[in-house]
Amino acid sequence: MAAAAATQGKGAGLGGGAEGREGPGVAVAVSAGPAWAVSVAFPGSVTQEGCFRFTCEFLKHVLYQRQQLPLPYEQLAFFYRRQPPRAPGQANGDEEVVRKVHVKDQDCSQKCQQVLSDLEGVFKHLETMFTLTLVPCVLILLGGTSVSPKEFYEINLQGVSVRGAEDSLQTAACIRKLFHSLFLADVFSELQTGPTMGVTVMVQGHRNCGVDWFKPKLNYKVPTRGRKLTVNVSCSHHTSTGLSDYQEMNSAWDDYIWFQAPVTVKGFRYFSS
Amino acid sequence: MDEAANDLKLALQNDCESLPIDIEVHQKSNSTAKKEDVKSSVLKLLNRHNVIFGDYKWTEFDDHFLTNNVQSIAIVDTELKLKERQPISLHKCSLSIRIFHLNEEGPSTENLEAEDEDIVAANHWVLPTVEFHGLWDSLIYDAEVKSNLLDYVTTTLLFSDKNVDSNLISWNRVVLLHGPPGTGKTSLCKALAQKLTIRLSHRYLYGQLVEINSHSLFSKWFSESGKLVTKMFQKIQALIDDKDALVFVLIDEVESLTAARSAVRAGTEPSDAIRVVNAVLTQIDQIKRYPNVVILTTSNITEKIDMAFVDRADIKQYIGPPSAAAIFKIYLSCLEELMKCQIIYPRQQLLTLRELEMIGYLENDVSKLSLILKAISRKSEGLSGRVLRKLPFLAHALYIQSPNVTMTTFLQALSLVVDKQFEERAKLANSV
Repeated sequence: MAAAAATQGKGAGLGGGAEGREGPGVAVAVSAGPAWAVSVAFPGSVTQEGCFRFTCEFLKHVLYQRQQLPLPYEQLAFFYRRQPPRAPGQANGDEEVVRKVHVKDQDCSQKCQQVLSDLEGVFKHLETMFTLTLVPCVLILLGGTSVSPKEFYEINLQGVSVRGAEDSLQTAACIRKLFHSLFLADVFSELQTGPTMGVTVMVQGHRNCGVDWFKPKLNYKVPTRGRKLTVNVSCSHHTSTGLSDYQEMNSAWDDYIWFQAPVTVKGFRYFSS
Repeated sequence: MDEAANDLKLALQNDCESLPIDIEVHQKSNSTAKKEDVKSSVLKLLNRHNVIFGDYKWTEFDDHFLTNNVQSIAIVDTELKLKERQPISLHKCSLSIRIFHLNEEGPSTENLEAEDEDIVAANHWVLPTVEFHGLWDSLIYDAEVKSNLLDYVTTTLLFSDKNVDSNLISWNRVVLLHGPPGTGKTSLCKALAQKLTIRLSHRYLYGQLVEINSHSLFSKWFSESGKLVTKMFQKIQALIDDKDALVFVLIDEVESLTAARSAVRAGTEPSDAIRVVNAVLTQIDQIKRYPNVVILTTSNITEKIDMAFVDRADIKQYIGPPSAAAIFKIYLSCLEELMKCQIIYPRQQLLTLRELEMIGYLENDVSKLSLILKAISRKSEGLSGRVLRKLPFLAHALYIQSPNVTMTTFLQALSLVVDKQFEERAKLANSV
């Protein structure tokens, strides 16, 4: 395990205007916004389903950490499934005080239901997407438009080697490792609280994978502006079919295009004005 | 007959040679086909139909590949260049094929966080978008307004490409459209942005349209407004830095941002407003250096605008109410739509003005309805485009109220509603 320790690069070379540390003559890729990178290396192969789970858990994490959800996704889903919001007529003789709160609750719970069902849709279709095609990269965009988001998160799966379930590491262990690295890198604690924003998911996949929920964006390229966090996921043993091998076997790199989820998940807060 | 044939030959020989023809290919939103593949299929189709009469749009194809991947193929804006409808031989023309996908998401909002308050300062579209699709074609003007605007931007880009020294020859990338309300100034700006994004898709990956809410740039704090303007333009600057994007900045009702500073001397304008004007002017000077930005502005009251701003506008285009001919075209497109939706049923062939002219306005069974429409158009002169577009709706609501109706009845209702419109207007004028 020690050999595959996570390496974290914080403020890795990409000195934007905020840091302004680039020395003279040092060739660095100049990014318009500040950028961070976290690398995670697994000591073996993973499954396609595992890749989906990483993406999914990371998305939930980002949503909560960036205050787009008032509670972690699982808790929110748990509360709202167990206690379906009461209809206004059903207010069975509660005191006046309770009922006043209730009106605001109603509004909030509607927003929450919407977010939850949107997210459920995204997760469901992401899962399908991962079974249909290899996914080299996933982007989570917050705020702004898809081409110029306020901040965005990239999950780079290009270094992953994919195998069947019996030859792979346990997905749960991998997720623990991923989050361990994220916590060590401590990328979320310094960020300021932002407003609630729209969240869009972009997935890279093969041109002919036949997915129909996600909409192809042939012209899309990864934004250069906005705050960026990259999570590089890789497998240290390159023994089996990795994505890079696939590319050579299957087709040219340009057959992997971007797909955009057709829903924008609107972040929400309790008691926001 | 011989004469007509000769004319035809002449037309074929002269005008068409190396005439640039724009072909817009609207790729289906779920299509993942490569641009090159689409292009070659489109060329194959055009090879089979190599002579066209004016603008034409294909929406159904016998080719399997095109049916799966392409929504429509349209030959556009030939009418802007050629005064008359004439056969165009595609072999002789230089074809430019633009393939585009429409973005389905709506506008996103740009916030300025000032003193704990979130103000929506701008709406922001990624172009080409579904929202503005077809807008360009729905705007009908008499003079060469549309082609002038297109040509203007083309020249702008050419000058930028050739690195013309902007100290020697200066151009400001500012377009000012002015005229009475309801003539489609704002729509024209939006449509122009969409059009240019498609036209220039070989140079820019996408377009961005930022519509500034002028009023939101005024702060409740004295002296803060100028800073808000600067903040706003900083955000725009960030968009311009992306070299793959063509950025359009739309400032609607620009007189609110650039109110004449001379009015201050009369004491009717607070000094904070001057700061706004100053900020806008300096910011425009800042961003005009960049090749990939166009500033579009509209105004109803030009005399209120600061001279320094008017000076900066390269094109000051007056957009007036439509003429009878344009009104006829507008009505025609409305009636076409109603027939498509089968509200007017059965379908009737209506002639265009040009066709009417060719038969010498002779009244017969074919031209009867068209002549009635022409009379209504003449009667409607003076109404704005916005009003005209809602008249068919009003006609139905006030005089028809049945799910389908014949063309004759509908035209009667339309005629009545036009009269009513003028009556209402007279009443309004009298009561004031």
